[in-house]
Amino acid sequence: MAGQLLINLIPGETTLHKLTGTTKVRFFIVLLVFIIMSFDIRLLLPLCILGIVGLLSMKPNWKVIKYFFIITGVMNLINIFLFWLVDPDCGAIWCGGGSTVLYQFSGRFIITAESIWYLSVRFLKMMTSLVISMVFILSITPSEIAAGLYSIKVPYKICTIFSMAFRYIPDIARDFDNIKISMQVRGVELDSKKASFMTRIKQYVLILVPLIISSFDRVGNIANAMDLRGYGKGKTRTYYSEREEQKADKAAKILYCGLFLFCIYWIITKNIMPQPSKMWYPFS
Amino acid sequence: MKKESTLKTILGVWNTKTVIAMAIGAALFGVLMNFGGITIFTNTKLTTAMIIPVIVGSMFGPVPALVTCTVGNTIADLIGGWGFWFDWSIGNGVLGFIVGLLPLYGAKINDGIFKLRHAVIYVIACVIGNAFAFGVVTPILTTVFYGGELNVTFVQSLTGGIANVLVLTVIGIPILFALAKRNARNTNLTLDK
Repeated sequence: MAGQLLINLIPGETTLHKLTGTTKVRFFIVLLVFIIMSFDIRLLLPLCILGIVGLLSMKPNWKVIKYFFIITGVMNLINIFLFWLVDPDCGAIWCGGGSTVLYQFSGRFIITAESIWYLSVRFLKMMTSLVISMVFILSITPSEIAAGLYSIKVPYKICTIFSMAFRYIPDIARDFDNIKISMQVRGVELDSKKASFMTRIKQYVLILVPLIISSFDRVGNIANAMDLRGYGKGKTRTYYSEREEQKADKAAKILYCGLFLFCIYWIITKNIMPQPSKMWYPFS
Repeated sequence: MKKESTLKTILGVWNTKTVIAMAIGAALFGVLMNFGGITIFTNTKLTTAMIIPVIVGSMFGPVPALVTCTVGNTIADLIGGWGFWFDWSIGNGVLGFIVGLLPLYGAKINDGIFKLRHAVIYVIACVIGNAFAFGVVTPILTTVFYGGELNVTFVQSLTGGIANVLVLTVIGIPILFALAKRNARNTNLTLDK
């Protein structure tokens, strides 16, 4: 289980890895706003390409990532298909009225150019969000997330939850394996060839209960250890993983500040003020 | 025993112990969300992670349960790698809050009090919590964030909600009884005269 984790626990070597946690978290939040705020292909496509370039520059393990991309891609395609099933003419309200029928299955199920446009932009939006999240996840370590969140004024107790939760995941994996082995010794069959699917599910619940209870039993010990080291006494906190800003961080800072201002401008002019159509459609 | 104010019960006590419990809860939530569930519909899972807020809520109060769920879902997104779904994270947080209201209606797991009456209220709270979190909060946020088609989100919410209620009642209630019994072991002593 621990081998399947996507997030790194050790900082990497490439330029994107070497940015500070503050930069990564702030940049990521601005980019999320950027993705969420619009359905405009002129904004989404460049970001998607930049995201892929960023992903390539980190030299990730493609075998693992490919799997995530396929799963999420299929999931989103099914979603899009459901959207079309629910309302085949969904593009009309998005592209400012009018629907150019390309093909007609029956009275209700039609394919319109607007719907294709809307659904493909939507798919692009979801995939861009995936690419950007992937870049963020692969470039950051849990301690840097905590440091970055602290830099945007999140209370440090919540930051601790983030970094500590990730520290704890290998322990969960180890406990799970131990409990599983001791259950198997007592005759609980977990082999997929010998036990049916339903019995295996029941037996996994049997493993789960001791796992959860033993994990929560450890709360007292860890809390005492941290109290002894003076956790929670000060009002502020500094992070070991937070380094001094390098040149790349300063450049990134200018970039995300500019992008943030652009987002505010876009939301005020395009999202709050009424528009003739909800998205940019070139063929109307 | 000193009676605590309602507000304090809701907020929980934010000492080191609570922070660690939330961290462990969030870690378990994230792991179970990824490895302890079966996908039943797009974006929806029959997941055993849902019992974590019950335990955190019963021991530490609703707001810690809310934080556990929100952070836990974000962690699940981080290790799962399917992109971030903050609408669902916040929906789960709201659900965690409502499910974690246990101490408010007298089910004190720490003192070993969990009776049939509490179980009934708990089930009702689960149903209402799911209906509110995934029927109101998540669809609204989905529309705000992604401009989603509401019908699809509602189908997702409905399947997710039913799955959650199932997990919360079928696994949650036995665990709550077991925890209460464990903690009550030493408190039913009577004074011998």
